[in-house]
Amino acid sequence: MTAQILRPNLSRRTLLKGGAGLVFVLGVGGLSAVEVNAQDATLDVNQWLTISPNGAITIVFPSTEMGQSSYSTLPQMLAEELDADWNDVVIAQLNEDDRAFGNPIFGGVLYTAGSTAVQGYYDPMRRAGAQVRDVLLQIAAQQLGVAKDSLRTETSTVIAEDGTRLSYGALAATGLDGVQIPDAEAVTLKDPQSFRIIGQDIPRRDVPAKSTGKAEYAIDVELDNMAHAVVLRTPVEGETPTAVDDAEARTVEGVIDIVTLPDGVSVVAETLWAALGARDLLQVEWSTTSPARNFNSETTLASYAEAVRDPEADVAVWAEKGDATSAIKNADSTVSHLYLSDYAYHAQIEPMAAVASVDPDGLGVEVWAGTQTQSWTTHTIMETLGTTQDRIRLHMMTMGGSFGRRTAFVQDYVRDAVLSSRAVGRPVKVTWTREDDVKNGTFRPAAAQQLEAGLTTDGQLTGWHHKVATPTVIGFFNPGRWEIVKPNDVISMRGAESKFYDIADFRADHIITERQARLAPYRGIGAAYTSFAAEAFMDELAEAAGRDPLEFRLDLVRDNQRGQYLLEKVADMSGWQDRGDRALGLSFAGYSSSMAAGVAEIEVDDSSGEILVTHIWAAVDAGRIVSPDNAHNQIEGGIVFGLSSALSERIDIEKGEVVQSNFYDYEIVRADRVPPIDIHIASVDAPPTGVGEVGTPMVSSAIANAFYAARGQRLRHMPFTRDRVRSVLQS
Amino acid sequence: MTQFTLNGRPVEVDRPTDELLLLVIRDALGLKGTKYGCGAAMCGACTVHVDGAPEFSCQLAVGDIEGAEVTTIEGLSEDGTHPLQKAWIDQQVPQCGYCQSGQIMRAAALLSENPEPSRTEIANYMSANLCRCGTYNRIFKAVEQAALEV
Ligand code: FES
Ligand code: FES
Repeated sequence: MTAQILRPNLSRRTLLKGGAGLVFVLGVGGLSAVEVNAQDATLDVNQWLTISPNGAITIVFPSTEMGQSSYSTLPQMLAEELDADWNDVVIAQLNEDDRAFGNPIFGGVLYTAGSTAVQGYYDPMRRAGAQVRDVLLQIAAQQLGVAKDSLRTETSTVIAEDGTRLSYGALAATGLDGVQIPDAEAVTLKDPQSFRIIGQDIPRRDVPAKSTGKAEYAIDVELDNMAHAVVLRTPVEGETPTAVDDAEARTVEGVIDIVTLPDGVSVVAETLWAALGARDLLQVEWSTTSPARNFNSETTLASYAEAVRDPEADVAVWAEKGDATSAIKNADSTVSHLYLSDYAYHAQIEPMAAVASVDPDGLGVEVWAGTQTQSWTTHTIMETLGTTQDRIRLHMMTMGGSFGRRTAFVQDYVRDAVLSSRAVGRPVKVTWTREDDVKNGTFRPAAAQQLEAGLTTDGQLTGWHHKVATPTVIGFFNPGRWEIVKPNDVISMRGAESKFYDIADFRADHIITERQARLAPYRGIGAAYTSFAAEAFMDELAEAAGRDPLEFRLDLVRDNQRGQYLLEKVADMSGWQDRGDRALGLSFAGYSSSMAAGVAEIEVDDSSGEILVTHIWAAVDAGRIVSPDNAHNQIEGGIVFGLSSALSERIDIEKGEVVQSNFYDYEIVRADRVPPIDIHIASVDAPPTGVGEVGTPMVSSAIANAFYAARGQRLRHMPFTRDRVRSVLQS
Repeated sequence: MTQFTLNGRPVEVDRPTDELLLLVIRDALGLKGTKYGCGAAMCGACTVHVDGAPEFSCQLAVGDIEGAEVTTIEGLSEDGTHPLQKAWIDQQVPQCGYCQSGQIMRAAALLSENPEPSRTEIANYMSANLCRCGTYNRIFKAVEQAALEV
């Protein structure tokens, strides 16, 4: 292994500014250490961590922060194996597309999504910490003239048998002569029993700033001489401005310029207020040739429903085991139902915003943006300016929520900021209003699902066939990726594999329908609707079999003891067995390998059609939990998100335009409709599998099943809006 | 020219009188803790106190608050140690944090009107403010904790 990996070209990274000490570099060749002295204080390297003589331990945070707390959790994993004092740790946001820090789950792409950050970095970041700890022990052993094995570490200190204590900072300052850097794969990791950081309730680093108004989001960035822009975007996807009359808009005091973009017109002004006022005065003619003008959500969903019932429709098999078709054919009875779900919008409270400051030569740029991916933001900027990566200075800002919204391969709000700045030769902040954010939203796709299953006369399930008619999401938000993975779209289909159940003859098919809206990953991705259908159907099957929904499910998890535990636990928590007249609904779903069993208790107001959820209980297994209190917060947030989308969230599209505009016609759940939520997190000795989305998928079916308990009617179209509930009750 | 008091200090701004108070606070006066979420009185991210009462700063023109006393999250306490802020940290309320300035300002108004609110009163009062991350139950707990101190 080489002693040094220097990356002199990455000259803008100055983590080491003003400090001397050891720099540990995890590059393509593995980990190596670089000695830094005061003259080299701004040495530019690609590092996971640095230890300064003053004891500060700077750890790179390779993901981006949108509320999920990876910003605290990922460095904790490294600090654990390093045996660092958490108070010594300084967290450094990774601000470039440096694939050496990529998430192994995404093949090294810098991409924060799918509840994968802890899962993906759990091994490499702990190994990086353990390697450095080993190096520090070697240095200490040399200094003290004792065997390395006789030394131990705790809280940033090496301790010898005779009680001598050497701080990590002091050791880091002394140099590397004679030190062997151990191989990442060979280092010994801690026995989880001795964890001091992982599994503890350590307060999040970002909470004080987020409780005092000091946290800075992209929308808050302020630069000298910065102008503000708002963009009048094409009302229908695929159209372009054909004539722009900006004479009146230009008369507004403070307007700097009006810039025509490929799919919009940017109004750049001294203040946001002036830009907004001028935008109202623009007269723009748009082309009228886009096929998207034919998009109507009502007919879209009807056509998906037709496709899912068409036996001749082309299917891509998503998951298969045994022979579902024969099992269903030979069953004593069969049950089949259709489930529908509408488009849904992310509704993150910070609308899209980005700041760009393009260099005079038009090729270099500094950008401040909140996105879920350093890689695709860098890509977007390179394409926009026709420039190279080394000319981009990126600042990944903490995000005011995202839930999948900021994942796209091409990020139009970033592009618009860059183009506007280049046009006016000043730094420009682009801000989307809420209306811009809704009208230009990228949505969870509408879906029609048909489920069919067989039953034996003694009430056993035999054969399960789940068909999902919905477009490919990946094909829209990341077409290059689709070319590699097609026809398997995990974003569209996750959950339909029902992998927590053991069903001998099983099949899930994707009928890839035509895309008729802009699409994006969304909290829970496919499971947000496939688990609604599957778990609502499971209850209908139990009913047809004349069995209790809990017993019926327990039969199917005999090979999944962790799942069985969750079902029994949530039954216990909710008083399922003695529920009497209480309207309870059960569901068992999850996300990726994380599982959640949930029970919802509801009341129904027949005259308004409102479903009031009065309590939710959840039992969750997400493997080892790195940050228990945050895991609880994330799971609860996921449940609230699921509750909100089950009850009211719906996007309609007419003639290619999004009908909704703001929170008055796109309702998300408010405080007075949030029930007590009791969460039990199983303690298991298994790798972590993610907590950000596990709470969401089971909620809608738990509510639908509770509705059946309350009123004896089935809700098969999500969301369960008041008018839909009323019409079900009247039918 | 509009004059008012911001966080206890007199300020004078030379902005159009119809400009939103929210934008004046953020862009002219540089206090970014007050957030834009909807501009439509629907989310509460922009909540400030005007003469002690909670207001959506996206619904006020700066000209309308001539002479008024405006308090933002930055003025709630000198050093972030208002009982609500301490409770927010103790209960680890924020996730993305974007709604939380507004939540805290709304909660502060609640406690000054009703120092011992019930859980239902808290939920009803706080319903003006959205939290997409779903931290509502923690908000309730934090308000209850702070109420014991105020
Ligand atoms: S920004 Fe004022 S209420 Fe939403
Ligand atoms: S903490 Fe994210 S919106 Fe409330």
